[in-house]
Amino acid sequence: MLIELERVHYDYFGRIPALSGVSLSIGEGERFAIIGANGSGKSTLLQILDGLLFPSAGRFSFRGQHVTEASLRDAGFLRFFRERMGYVFQDSDAQLFCPTVFDELLYGPLQLAISEDEAEDRANHVMRMMGIDGLRDRPTYMLSAGEKKRVAIGSVLTMNPDVLLLDEPTNGLDPKTEAFLVELVLSLNDAGKTIVIASHDLSLVGDLDMRVALLSEAHRVEKVGTSSEILEDTDLLLRANLIHEHRHYHGPKSHRHSHSHVFKHRHETEAE
Amino acid sequence: MVSIPFLEKGIHHVSDIVQSGYAHWELSRRNGLFHRIDARVKVLFLAFFLVIVSLKQAIAPEAGIAVFVLLLFALSRLELGAAYKRILTLGFIFGVLIPLPSMFNVLSDGELLLPVMRLGRAYDLWIYHVPETIGVTREGVRGIAILFLRVTNCAALSLLVLYTTPVADILKALRMFRVPDTFVIIITLSYKYLFIFTRTVEEMYLAKRSRLLGEIRSREGRRWVAERMALLYRKSTMQCEEIFKAMVSRAFDGEVKLTGLGGMATRDRWMAAALVGAGVLFLRW
Repeated sequence: MLIELERVHYDYFGRIPALSGVSLSIGEGERFAIIGANGSGKSTLLQILDGLLFPSAGRFSFRGQHVTEASLRDAGFLRFFRERMGYVFQDSDAQLFCPTVFDELLYGPLQLAISEDEAEDRANHVMRMMGIDGLRDRPTYMLSAGEKKRVAIGSVLTMNPDVLLLDEPTNGLDPKTEAFLVELVLSLNDAGKTIVIASHDLSLVGDLDMRVALLSEAHRVEKVGTSSEILEDTDLLLRANLIHEHRHYHGPKSHRHSHSHVFKHRHETEAE
Repeated sequence: MVSIPFLEKGIHHVSDIVQSGYAHWELSRRNGLFHRIDARVKVLFLAFFLVIVSLKQAIAPEAGIAVFVLLLFALSRLELGAAYKRILTLGFIFGVLIPLPSMFNVLSDGELLLPVMRLGRAYDLWIYHVPETIGVTREGVRGIAILFLRVTNCAALSLLVLYTTPVADILKALRMFRVPDTFVIIITLSYKYLFIFTRTVEEMYLAKRSRLLGEIRSREGRRWVAERMALLYRKSTMQCEEIFKAMVSRAFDGEVKLTGLGGMATRDRWMAAALVGAGVLFLRW
């Protein structure tokens, strides 16, 4: 297995639980989603997978090697791990800290001691791929939310990681950028990259047809299954607080019931 | 209309920061003479000319530099009116208004040029000698003129470089003076967060205003500002932690590595030589 988590616990300040006994396995080249309501521990889990936080208890292994604070102090393992794991933060403003877009794309490769020429080749290639050629010399604070997200993803892609961790990637994006992101994730996965997404956007998980782990509000893995298995289980989604009951329209008629917006739902009564 | 004057004023200033940032970006992308020069040459030019301006003791060379910089402004197709309004205001405040008393023969002796007041007799107060006739001296006027020219020249030189160079390039050019990359990143982040937090402040104020039904008392307003300041501080701390994680995630190991500005074109070398030549001429004047 590429990534393995065994009974991982994580508490903030030793008091506030964020993860309680999470066990997961993610294989090479998989599309994997971690879904759950706000505060269920998705981002914490992703940060553990990127070696930014370390479990209070339990174990995290990457390609069979334990990832701990101590193991990442070893320069060789740190480089091995950072080269292979790429993390796109939910808040692009946190991720973009260099003077210009081009510097942002070069930052990762240069930190990995890749030659300047190769780093520039990678940056130019990623700029074309992400459609951000025209932004090359722009300061990142002058970009729109969609452009920032593209640059943030590009800044990770120039490191050419095996695994791409995306935290709430569609948050605050317009439909066009969202569609671009879905296409991009699929083509990266076709190229052999492992994709791990943390999101509460159920339609994204459905569009990408991922294997899904659902985190409950008790910070545990409630169920792992295919996207159709999870998204069609209305009771499970209700329990996890991921769907709700509301009124909506079908043509001129409206009615009220709970559903996930993802799959076409059956109606017991056609209209009220 | 509901208004909170002191808050309103502050928020307008905040908006100005963001707008001037965008304006600066647009301005620095134009295609004038100075825009096309390598940022390193411009930073070197600025440092060299600031030293020359500080060394000169006579009005003529200072005035010569002022004309030279004005010419560079014009050749760079910059808006002279807007730029010189700022420059002359700075020159007036720091070069005339603040040192104004030094023009009179109360603070320093000199040849009386323009009598202002007659006292009947001279007075000695502590270390000051107040003469019988108080007035403007020739030395005082000369001193003020030199100071005014120095301030306007320094402001004009700085604005010339700022208006024609993206901030990112100026920061990278600082590496020429062996400024570490980590410091460049810190300055970049500070500059960037100025924009992010001014936007946040503006939004917080608009959210407050949209829920106001009547006038807000000044005390309440001050309390609101203090609370928002605490909130912004907390937001900044959290953002700082996130940025550090983002840097670590992209292999930050305590040392930042950035690319430079690349090789310098022959044209930039010629421009550098011409500017240094002009500087030497002013220095020998």
